Amino acid sequence: MEEILKVENLTKTFKLSKKQQKLERTQTKVKVAVDKLSFTAYKGEIFGLLGPNGAGKTTTLRMLATLIKPDSGDAFIDGKSIITQEDEVRRKIGFLTSELKLEDFFTPNYLFNFFGELYGMEKSAIVERRKQLFERFGIDRFAEVKFSSLSTGMKQKVSLVVSIVHDPEFIIFDEPTNGLDVLTAKVVTDFLTELKNDGKTIILSTHIFSLIEKLCDRVGIIINGKLAKIDTLENLTKQSSLEDTFFGIYKEVAGDIL
Amino acid sequence: MRNVITVLKKEFARFFKDRRMVMSIFLPGIMIFLVYTIMGTVMAEVNKPDENYKYTTYVENIPQDSALAAVLNATLDFKEYESADKAKQAVADGELDLAIIFPVNFNESTDGEAVPNVSVYYNLANDNSSNGFTVVSSILEEFKRPSFTVNNGENGNLAEDRATVGKILSMIMPMLMFSLLASGCIAFAPESIAGEKERGTLSTVLITPIKRWQLAFGKIISLACFATLSGLSSFIGLILSLPKFMNGIVSGDTMMYYSVGDYFMLFALIISVVLVIISAFSIVSAFAKTVKEANSLIAPLMIVIILMGVFSMFTATPALGLYAIPLLGSGLAFSSIMTFTVSPLGFALSIISNLAVAAVLIVLLSFMFKSERIMFNR
Repeated sequence: MEEILKVENLTKTFKLSKKQQKLERTQTKVKVAVDKLSFTAYKGEIFGLLGPNGAGKTTTLRMLATLIKPDSGDAFIDGKSIITQEDEVRRKIGFLTSELKLEDFFTPNYLFNFFGELYGMEKSAIVERRKQLFERFGIDRFAEVKFSSLSTGMKQKVSLVVSIVHDPEFIIFDEPTNGLDVLTAKVVTDFLTELKNDGKTIILSTHIFSLIEKLCDRVGIIINGKLAKIDTLENLTKQSSLEDTFFGIYKEVAGDIL
Repeated sequence: MRNVITVLKKEFARFFKDRRMVMSIFLPGIMIFLVYTIMGTVMAEVNKPDENYKYTTYVENIPQDSALAAVLNATLDFKEYESADKAKQAVADGELDLAIIFPVNFNESTDGEAVPNVSVYYNLANDNSSNGFTVVSSILEEFKRPSFTVNNGENGNLAEDRATVGKILSMIMPMLMFSLLASGCIAFAPESIAGEKERGTLSTVLITPIKRWQLAFGKIISLACFATLSGLSSFIGLILSLPKFMNGIVSGDTMMYYSVGDYFMLFALIISVVLVIISAFSIVSAFAKTVKEANSLIAPLMIVIILMGVFSMFTATPALGLYAIPLLGSGLAFSSIMTFTVSPLGFALSIISNLAVAAVLIVLLSFMFKSERIMFNR
């Protein structure tokens, strides 16, 4: 199997404000969000990062997407460092997360073209890709409607196609079905399978067990910024359901659930 | 470069497809034109005495059978009072406009003796009374027995209208230009940078392979275009209202005195000033977490910028070195173009210093776009 992502001792800390210290009931001024995280993902697989809220999933993905820099450690996507070769990494990846927003004022058509151009695509390539993706998601019906006037589901579809406008080989999805109705969620999960069948590699973060069970080849369980377990979905669900396995591991690592 | 153009195109589309944004360019110009025109017209009306009004006047010892008496008779409405003192009291009380006391010997020769004095009492707090005083003094002035005349029928002010206009404009323009351009900039920078940061749309651009300087450059150039347009619109509004506003001070079309070259220099100055202001505001906006915060952080900066314009009004013959101070130098250059005394070197220095500062600020902004602490400090 060909390695496409290699994460080595990735660490990220955040300074806590006085208020945050009070909320977290701690005297330490620094919170370790991601603690020496290492794992590998292979080409063509869907790798799931499973963990509770605040475990460090999103922080990890943001580092992989070059949005923030790790304090120490490094990660290589297709051999390119997320620290020293940011631009190459950016060209290779697609990143979908709820915190990256699209401008309300523009139409899906405009946004798609704009981001296509930023990825250095030729006009004809953008048009062709747009036609293909807009048809696939039914966006052509509202391609000229302002983003602000779209429903949540429509917005998520547009965000999805914009994030993969440049047809990246490596795609990072942070909670891709959060807040979506069942129909749109299904459209998204079906598309993830399609991408996988096309040979793309996908890193997916979620806290929804069923999503992992349905899609992922391998799973990394993150608890308190550390990788508690990494294995194939098959192995993790051999003895019990994924849910039970997860709570077992959680109890072992973090103690009782409050 | 392609990315810069992509960003420029997007900013322009965002701007020109939004009717409210476009309005924000032209509205200040229209408002300034209307306000100054109305102000000028009203001021002229208020100051203009009513030609048909006859000033109620008590006159003592009026020289009989003279041309002066005839003229006064036509202008004044004579009132009788028991004594001069009673009349003066009436003027003070506002019941009477004027009290004029001619000397008894008014028409007699005064060779070697004291010059006869005409006492004209008026009430400054009363508009009719003070206007009446102006009218009567000018009539008396004409009938003074002259041993010579001064500027008989001729305008003695050798300064041409051109120089008068230049002087006036050089006093008001730099400060006006700075405040108009700064308010143009404040309308766009916080929205485009702090706003995009606040709404999370800037991060979406930051994960694409666009270089940070390309984004900074594209943003600043497009914002500078909008701010220049808005500044120019205010400027044109101001110029169009000048004839009304300066009613009476100068005649004719004030802006005709300046050559195409002068206008070209003014335009170059405006562009360079806008670049400095918009870059500074952009940096503050990138630093701020929200549009609101950006606006409040920019407010003090705005005062500093306007002060630069004020300082340049009080520096009549500036040392060449002063031109090299960004913004202040352009204020001085602006002032000197208005008075037709521009020094080419000073002009060049002021432009270069502005461009240098803008370039440094753009580089700084690119670094800020790279900094996760600044971009994601929520």
